[in-house]
Amino acid sequence: MENHRRRWIWVGLAALLFILAALLMFTGQGDDAAIAQEPSVEFPRRMRSQDRLRADQRRTFIMPVDAGTRAEGPPRPRDPVLAALPRGEGHTAVVIEANAVRNSPLGELLMDCLMRDGGKPLDEFRRVSGLDPLQDLDRIVITDEGLILSGNFAKARFKELLGERTSADYGQGARVYEPGAMSVPLADGGTMRGQMGSSVGTWNDQMMVVGRSSDSVKTVIDRMEGRGSDEPPAISENSTYGEMYGVLGVEQMAKILAADQPELAQRLRDVAQNVELHMDTRSDVALVAEIRGPDAEKVTDLGKSLGAALSVARLKAQAQDDKTLAQLMDFARVEPDGNSFKLEMAVPIDVIRERLAWCRQPPDTTDAGQ
Amino acid sequence: MSHSVVYSATVTNRPPAIEVTGLCKTYFRAFRRQGSDALRGVDLTVPEGSAFGLIGPNGAGKTTFIKSILGIVQPTAGTVRVLGGSPEDPRIRARIGYLPERLHLPGSWTATAFLATVARLKGLQPEPAAHLKLLERVGLAEAAGRKIGGYSKGMRQRLGLATALLGAPALLILDEPTDGIDPMGRVEVRRILQEEVQRGTTLFLNSHLLAETERVCDRVAILAQGRVVREGRLEELARGAARWQARFAPGADAGALEAAGLQRAETEGLFRIDADGPATLNAALDKARATGALLVELKREGADLEAVLVGTVGVAA
Amino acid sequence: MKPVLGIAAYVLREAASRKFILAFLVGITLVLAVVALSLRIEVIDGALAATRLFGDVIPTSIRAVDVALRPVFKAAAFIVFYGGIVFGIVACSDFAPGLLSPGRIEHLLALPLRRWHLLAGTFLGVMTLALGGTVYGAGGLTLIFGVKTGYWTLGPLIAGVLACVGFAAVYAVMLTTATFVRSAALCAAAGGLFLVGGIIAGFRQQLSRFFEAGLGRNAFEAVTLLLPRLSALAMAAADLAASTPPQIRSLGLLLVGVFVFGLGALVVGFWRFEGKDY
Repeated sequence: MENHRRRWIWVGLAALLFILAALLMFTGQGDDAAIAQEPSVEFPRRMRSQDRLRADQRRTFIMPVDAGTRAEGPPRPRDPVLAALPRGEGHTAVVIEANAVRNSPLGELLMDCLMRDGGKPLDEFRRVSGLDPLQDLDRIVITDEGLILSGNFAKARFKELLGERTSADYGQGARVYEPGAMSVPLADGGTMRGQMGSSVGTWNDQMMVVGRSSDSVKTVIDRMEGRGSDEPPAISENSTYGEMYGVLGVEQMAKILAADQPELAQRLRDVAQNVELHMDTRSDVALVAEIRGPDAEKVTDLGKSLGAALSVARLKAQAQDDKTLAQLMDFARVEPDGNSFKLEMAVPIDVIRERLAWCRQPPDTTDAGQ
Repeated sequence: MSHSVVYSATVTNRPPAIEVTGLCKTYFRAFRRQGSDALRGVDLTVPEGSAFGLIGPNGAGKTTFIKSILGIVQPTAGTVRVLGGSPEDPRIRARIGYLPERLHLPGSWTATAFLATVARLKGLQPEPAAHLKLLERVGLAEAAGRKIGGYSKGMRQRLGLATALLGAPALLILDEPTDGIDPMGRVEVRRILQEEVQRGTTLFLNSHLLAETERVCDRVAILAQGRVVREGRLEELARGAARWQARFAPGADAGALEAAGLQRAETEGLFRIDADGPATLNAALDKARATGALLVELKREGADLEAVLVGTVGVAA
Repeated sequence: MKPVLGIAAYVLREAASRKFILAFLVGITLVLAVVALSLRIEVIDGALAATRLFGDVIPTSIRAVDVALRPVFKAAAFIVFYGGIVFGIVACSDFAPGLLSPGRIEHLLALPLRRWHLLAGTFLGVMTLALGGTVYGAGGLTLIFGVKTGYWTLGPLIAGVLACVGFAAVYAVMLTTATFVRSAALCAAAGGLFLVGGIIAGFRQQLSRFFEAGLGRNAFEAVTLLLPRLSALAMAAADLAASTPPQIRSLGLLLVGVFVFGLGALVVGFWRFEGKDY
């Protein structure tokens, strides 16, 4: 009988344990989607189908019919922006896909900051320039020669802004403004005048070029219209992936590093030929820098040194309990590949969202703290 | 005689070593309504300090009975009390030494390691010296350090006996202890068991070797078809036969002897006499001698256990 | 508790004499020795700069050594978790049937032990064996990578402990099966079945979408609610091995839950064992 009673106790205990186990496992694992997933970042390492489609759609420029005087050379880019880029090695040219960035999660966050006080500066810019940067701007290109903007500039008030300058038509639908005065109409009906040391060129209401001189602007327009050097542009069509891409001259890159890592900057000068950059903002912000040099061994050593520097930075962040930086450095890595290596770094969008959280709060509650 | 005096005193003051009342065991199989009865109301009392033998034909329920008194099998009905308590009580089982019919021994262990482990499981402090002494007692001193896997059947049985003897149990339950042991070994085992009984241990023995039981036990129960059909002191069971064998010298007149009330046996010159007392026996013998027959041998018939078993089971069947 | 420990020691002694278990330990040792001797890792300022296996360069990225080793530790954790459980199912499937075999169980039941002590002791013995093997393997791996890279982490060891808890749930089912049917094959089959069930249970939320809403889905969710969520535990183990936070709400609750499931299964075994004749 005692045995019978004991067996009933076991049955009861088993049922109790199964229920408790189910409850604990259900609570422990969590059956909702609210559990934070491990951040995974997609790095821009190659042309994706949407990049390819975008590049195809930008082949808009129709080359003028050649009378047979021009020697057969390599095919010239039919994307006017790519065509306008500096030619040959050693130049710097970085393209920011402004429209794509604007429509990315990062762009949304930046817009929150821009519109925080009701978007007054943006409205002011629209009023003065006649342009809506959120609608009319497609790409921004920064080169070592100046700046190129592409988009729809049909409503731009170039004449009001630059009307006092000496200007002349150039090529097929381009107009070049010499450096000089600039008048900005004020809201109260008055005009603010100033001097601008840069030359400005416009091209078919699609392009705006800012250069140091009218000659440099004309050089850009020449390249755009199929004239000039036969050398390939600084960025090939196959490298137009990501929301920001381009090449940096080694010297510029070394200058960036020189302040914190002078030795590394010097090694970069000694080893690397050029640095190709790609940034992806479609979800997180991921950056890939491909560093290329003639000597594979030296390039690999440089890669190792860079990897070590990143590791030290991460350890330092961990030691200083800077969790955010340490987490960011988790994504940092160097991928050696013979005479080149790729340096990859990323910032998860959640980190940026957290950092820019103040933009989503009313100005009066956060200003004191910022 | 002095031993029996002590025994009587013990019986009076202490509970029996085993006390079973109305013990029934029915085995049920899955998906079958009707079970098979192994024990059908067994009543048995084993006095403390006795050497008790359980005998019976195959399938009589002997092993089930032993397992029931050890709590290995749970009775369908009836009560079992061992050493004054329930066999389910570990404290009671701690005082029992058991040797199963087919004890499985781990082949890769040594005898000493096995004894130490069982001692620990019995709640005893492992004492290597005592274990060696025990192995020596069962005749395994030389093989103590060898792996059990290399033991013969008899050696395994001796080790099983040593295991049962661990901790000087108050009750020894042995199921076929001399199975596989050679005749010399049996003598040794018998000696050990007799020593244990003299020490005061109650011995409960199940052996198909009736001669062994007869030599070791003072009380015997016969189990047949799940019931105890006879139980008592060995000499009482044997005494129950009131038949005598008389052998006459050649030339005796068989017809005259039969006419005098004797029954002719299978062998020439051998006759049986049914006599419930000395007077009847002598009267029958006088009649036989009166026919001219010369008596050369007279002995009581059916005094051994085998005869008791055959007689009892035959009657029960 | 003493009788339980006694039975556990008995089981361990029995296991130690088995060639299969010894072969397993030798196997782990060989794997660790091969890894230790054939793997060359170059570390510069805490960054894994180059890896050579049997003299050949393995194409890997240069990054902080702990980050670079994450996939290695994750893979090791999965191998330890699932490989360990599968090995445990195979290697330990006949422990309980062996213990319950005629000639042995009668002897054990006649000893001054409670019946549940036997099952609990067997469970404890097998778990000790599993834990020992895991600590040996995972500890060896940690030691090798620690010495070679200078990066020391308890992650793989913790992952091993999690694997043991997963195995505890599976083995409890196997042990209980043995009290119903004394067959090593059926014990292993039951263990395998619960391993698969446990993997499914860990993905129950994702898998339930494949069922039509209604009775089918409800039944699936009800059954998997009770099963040990082994795959969830395996992923948590991998995360811990890689020193990354587990992607579950509470590892402690999940861990205890799986273990409590094992205890529940074991108690079913107690119930059966208490009422069984041998």
